[in-house]
Amino acid sequence: MTDSAVLQPGLQQPGWQVDRFIVSTALFGLALLGGLIWLETAPFMVALFVVGTVLGMALYHGAFGFTAGWRNLVVKKRGAGMRAQLLLFGVTSLIMVPMLHSGMEGLVGAVAPVGTSLVVGSFLFGVGMQLGGGCGSGTLFTVGAGNIRMVVTLVFFIAGAVLGSIHLPWWLDQPGFDPVSLVDTLGISGAVLAQFVGLGLIAWWVNRIERKAHGTVERDELLWKSQGHGVLRTLISGRWPFTWAILMLAAGNALTLAIGGAPWSITFAFNVWGAKALEVVGVNMSQFEFWQWDYPAMALKDSVLTNIPSVMNFGLLLGAMLAAGLANRFNEASRNKPEGRQFLAAVVGGLLLGYGARLGFGCNIGALFSGIASASLHAWIWFASAFVGSLIGIRLRPWFRLPN
Amino acid sequence: MKGSETMERAYSPTRILVMLGFILVLILMDHLNSPTFAFNSGQGNVETALSQRDETACAPCGAPCPSTRD
Repeated sequence: MTDSAVLQPGLQQPGWQVDRFIVSTALFGLALLGGLIWLETAPFMVALFVVGTVLGMALYHGAFGFTAGWRNLVVKKRGAGMRAQLLLFGVTSLIMVPMLHSGMEGLVGAVAPVGTSLVVGSFLFGVGMQLGGGCGSGTLFTVGAGNIRMVVTLVFFIAGAVLGSIHLPWWLDQPGFDPVSLVDTLGISGAVLAQFVGLGLIAWWVNRIERKAHGTVERDELLWKSQGHGVLRTLISGRWPFTWAILMLAAGNALTLAIGGAPWSITFAFNVWGAKALEVVGVNMSQFEFWQWDYPAMALKDSVLTNIPSVMNFGLLLGAMLAAGLANRFNEASRNKPEGRQFLAAVVGGLLLGYGARLGFGCNIGALFSGIASASLHAWIWFASAFVGSLIGIRLRPWFRLPN
Repeated sequence: MKGSETMERAYSPTRILVMLGFILVLILMDHLNSPTFAFNSGQGNVETALSQRDETACAPCGAPCPSTRD
């Protein structure tokens, strides 16, 4: 018995099925939470909730995983996933760097200090990506798609983030310096150009690795057309070509900046959720320096429905759930039950992800994607350190019985 | 039904509904105890934080600049 249903005429194509229960539940959840946000906060927050939902669908349908892209380059010597990420960074920086310096009031970029905290945090995050099975966005969208192992990763991601928030002030006192915006030193065009050169050099290195191993370079990241199905069916039920996902993610981050005043970020919400949970069981989080700083203190005190990363994460989870239902693949990744060491990898990976994200001023989205889109030096250092950490994580995966 | 096109459900719908309901209750509990809900209910003299950004911070998480630390 299955709950899948063939779509009706108009949308019907042979074999096109959706998981009706999951789609209905996700739509009901979106309507309910969207209505609550509308009633209790402000229209711009509903808009960000919708952007989060679309981003969740784009991540799922585009199978846009940073973790797998990095691993494929290292293990299989295939670079399409990595090049898709580089394209995403390039397109987004072309839109957002001028936006941030256009003189529009109230826009703040994702810039952060450079120092010990950043290097250690992003390195730990890189290890955690490979053990936990996802990065910030990857963990969220796979949880939304019903992956049980990733729920474990998310729970420990939150725990690690809270621990990181308690330790961050100490790490900030270690050697480091204030944020460096490339725009301040190179101007807007110079910063965009310098970033393009940097991304181009990485793409050249990726191509070299792939060509050396396989003789040719696959260009999957440049495909525009859907494989095997019509455009409408692919749009609704996936899988999207990389280019579609790149455009949606770039537009989503730019819209987040335009509507919310700051680029897309994910992991700060995990800090807030974890800290609120600890307060419920009697821990006074305000005793810790991090939670005395203005933004964390405000977020801790007020409703999660007024916290932009939280609202967008709720949308992302439900968007990924909707996409998985439309693809008739909800919970698919949990069909083979993970055994002990794989769960242990989720626990260790989750803790490293959370702790690393807090020390590194965000995850692959908040620090890397939004950081490069803001022309901040810290994003490039984050990228390098996380990639080195990822190499260690890939080597550790076989011990945890995780396939490479 | 053809196995290749139609997969058996690998989840319990009840469990999904219970999980989502639990998350919704947590969100509601948090919201009902918040300054924003108090403000919306007509209670004055509460400080809400609809726009929570701190533009003087040195990082998206609100961290201060290393140069400002002792």
